[in-house]
Amino acid sequence: MNDYVADIIILILIYISLGASLNLLMGYAGQFSMAQAVFYGIGAYSAGLLAVNLGFSPLLSIIGAIVIAFISAGILALPAAKRVSGEYLILLTLAFQIVVNQLMNSMRDLTGGPYGFTVPWLTIFGRDFITPVEYVPLMALGCLLVLLVTWGIGESPFGRLLKGIREDETAVRALGKNTVVSKLLVFGITAGMAGFIGGLSAYYYQYIAPGTYNLDLSIFIVSIIVLGGIGNLTGTIIGAIILGGMRPFLQNVDFIGDENSYSWQAIIYGMALILLMMFRPEGLLPEGMGFGSLWRRISGRTNAFPIVAIPPPGALPTAKGRVRGDELALPNIVVGRAGDAGVAPTAGFAATAGIVRIEDLAKHFGGIYAVNGVDLSLREHQITALIGPNGAGKTTIFNLITGVLKPDRGRVFLRGQEITGKPPDEVAKLGMARSFQDTRLFRRLTVLENVAMAVPHQPGENVAALALRPFRSRRMEAETLAKAMGYLELIEMAGKAHERVANLGYGEQKVVAIARLLATESEVLLLDEPTSGIDPAVLDDMIALVLRLKALGRTICVVEHSLHVVSQLADHVVFMEDGRVTAEGTIADLTSQPRLVEVYFGT
Amino acid sequence: MQASPLQPTLFPRLSGPQHSTSLVIDPQLVAQLFVSGIVIGSRYALIAVSFGIIYSTTRIFHLAHAATYTIAAYAAVVAANMLGAPLWLSLLFGLLAAVIFGALMELGMYRPMRRRSATKLAMFLASLGLSIVASSSIQIIFGPQNLSLQRVSNATYFLGNITITALNIAEIVVGWTAIALLLLFMRRTQYGRAINAVRTNAQVAMAVGISVDRIYLLVMVIGSLLVGMSSLLFLMGNVVFPTMGLAPILVGFIAVFLGGTDSIPGAALGGLVLGLATSLSGIWLAGDFASVVVFGILFIVLVFRPQGLLGKAAV
Repeated sequence: MNDYVADIIILILIYISLGASLNLLMGYAGQFSMAQAVFYGIGAYSAGLLAVNLGFSPLLSIIGAIVIAFISAGILALPAAKRVSGEYLILLTLAFQIVVNQLMNSMRDLTGGPYGFTVPWLTIFGRDFITPVEYVPLMALGCLLVLLVTWGIGESPFGRLLKGIREDETAVRALGKNTVVSKLLVFGITAGMAGFIGGLSAYYYQYIAPGTYNLDLSIFIVSIIVLGGIGNLTGTIIGAIILGGMRPFLQNVDFIGDENSYSWQAIIYGMALILLMMFRPEGLLPEGMGFGSLWRRISGRTNAFPIVAIPPPGALPTAKGRVRGDELALPNIVVGRAGDAGVAPTAGFAATAGIVRIEDLAKHFGGIYAVNGVDLSLREHQITALIGPNGAGKTTIFNLITGVLKPDRGRVFLRGQEITGKPPDEVAKLGMARSFQDTRLFRRLTVLENVAMAVPHQPGENVAALALRPFRSRRMEAETLAKAMGYLELIEMAGKAHERVANLGYGEQKVVAIARLLATESEVLLLDEPTSGIDPAVLDDMIALVLRLKALGRTICVVEHSLHVVSQLADHVVFMEDGRVTAEGTIADLTSQPRLVEVYFGT
Repeated sequence: MQASPLQPTLFPRLSGPQHSTSLVIDPQLVAQLFVSGIVIGSRYALIAVSFGIIYSTTRIFHLAHAATYTIAAYAAVVAANMLGAPLWLSLLFGLLAAVIFGALMELGMYRPMRRRSATKLAMFLASLGLSIVASSSIQIIFGPQNLSLQRVSNATYFLGNITITALNIAEIVVGWTAIALLLLFMRRTQYGRAINAVRTNAQVAMAVGISVDRIYLLVMVIGSLLVGMSSLLFLMGNVVFPTMGLAPILVGFIAVFLGGTDSIPGAALGGLVLGLATSLSGIWLAGDFASVVVFGILFIVLVFRPQGLLGKAAV
């Protein structure tokens, strides 16, 4: 290996590292950044300045580079954490890229301006790393580290949470998970890794100037990811080798020459971007295809869980026949949580008074009151049905009491504790979770991942725990998956645990959504039209499943249109019209009132 | 990677007095910076409107707008300097190039992608690819160096001690006239109302018989025409280089998001505000740091008012 080849290898290793870390952000978390080059630059400048001006040792300088890049990205991501996404995020990161790159040029006193400054070469234990050949092993080690961190995070519970945020952030919050910190962290980690490579590269190039960290490089890194396949690390490695290895060839083409090779390279990866987006947006390797899935196939990891018979195609997996007697045989399903941490029952608050109490709840949109002064209570271990014509405000009540919407007035109590206005993830953590009419499952994730994400108290969702106590995180993850498997057995879907949700029938998706809801271990479950859109043939199975949730000690409130379903399920029925409760009682009480029947069926 | 051969100043300031280092603010400096701010603000307003009409209708983050801007300028330079065309013809040639390039992007890239129901991110990435292909191609053909139009005469006027050039005045007048005409077009003509219908709800517009494809083409043409105008106004008093489009287009984009993405007057106002802010920041900051001001405004607005300055609060 000569220095020329070694130099190219180092450059490709840098591209792989920058691409892999950005892919964590783009592929897993579904966020976007046009500023990867500038975080790489922030790392290089930080390490260089710390070494030159403050005399830091190489190790300390590089740690400093990581920290500074991490913090600056965390701050930049503040708007993203506040649910700014899509075009705003592109604009914000694009502007950051250009402005910081320009500051590198302008802050002459600090950065040396357009001409940059020089950095000493790296010396570790008296050994010098100067020539490219000497430096290749170091850069390879750095690249390996970045790949391991990216892969480790991607495959951890935290990675699963990120994928959930990518698929449907609202649904993640409804499961009791805070998404704000996770988003800030993933921006920080991505930038931290870019900063690390930046620091390492500063000691290699021994010269830092703004031109290296320009927008073109950011676009180049994005092209690498897109070429390889968004969300696919193997693809990123291949993409970096293809696009990064191109220039040495271009340089030796006669009519191009060294001078124009950058422009030609840009034309080629620009064209690659256009053509890929037009004809193959998933890139060379689609998500989930690569060394990881190969390894799983060879090692047979998918068979580590008990598998029950796969239900016949098209049929909704039945919950019948399991209703009797086997509750306690299921692993880790908590039955009832009275007196659990933080939700102490208030003295004298009898079960009949309602585990959930709603007082004078109101919400208007524009001039129209969707909910107008509703008082309601959900009795413990019972099923309460909310019925009424379309637009009566039933789903709005769910949105108001779970914190998706803020009420204009009124209060909500859970076990005597006021939860009015608390955000959805906190409400879910306190023990009240809701399902969505259109399931809002994470479509590109497997059935098992969907359910596992809902399991509370996962240390692996915390990056610090993941890094500091990796073995405990792994052990707890096995426990989480076992729990999730238990829920899947309950709905008799264990055989499809590794199937992607998007490949399931709609009836099956509705059932998985119930399992996911159950997995939150919430004692109060709000079901928004659990039977809508499913095949009438399997309706009874769904009814049996909901009854089974009740048998498991859950308190349930269901919004439902079918009176047949309501009569089978509900202990107590609440009738709503125009945002108000106009009648309450058993289904027989209500159907004996001709006026209500007319309101309900009249339209 | 090598250092880029040139690092253009992204936010050029007009005949710039130096920023003051004392605490006493010189009123004359403020007045001059204010006038400069109006000029730059008018430039940004026109760019913002040109992007705003495309974005609010097609919802594509059309970054290749920067390429349109650059191509208009280079086309005019080629016509004037290499083919020897008179100024008016060169400018016309530049506008024509912008319009054709815009229409080709819609027909050759965005429309086929829409047919394949590409995501908005995919369309942005394609647009990104195109913008880098365009600037690199121009660099190969014309070289990285600055070019300029020859034979453009310019007069300088004095209002007291404040200076302003004829081209500055042209920029203000032409810019706001174009914006006013666009608003008139949107409100008074059948096509304008059709654009508004598509902006509000493309599906409903389709249902009442509006050809959405044609409207998308129309807004790409209008937007490209307007950005071409802005580019040519800039060109007459300045130099051109392959990556010249990016910075002004980016500021135009920011202006659109500040003003609220659905409002054309909002975009114009956003541009004016950014122009004034960058210019007046010169009271305290050196010119190189004006871009930080723009970014700071964007960041603060996104944190505290994500729907933009004039946008409606999300329900």
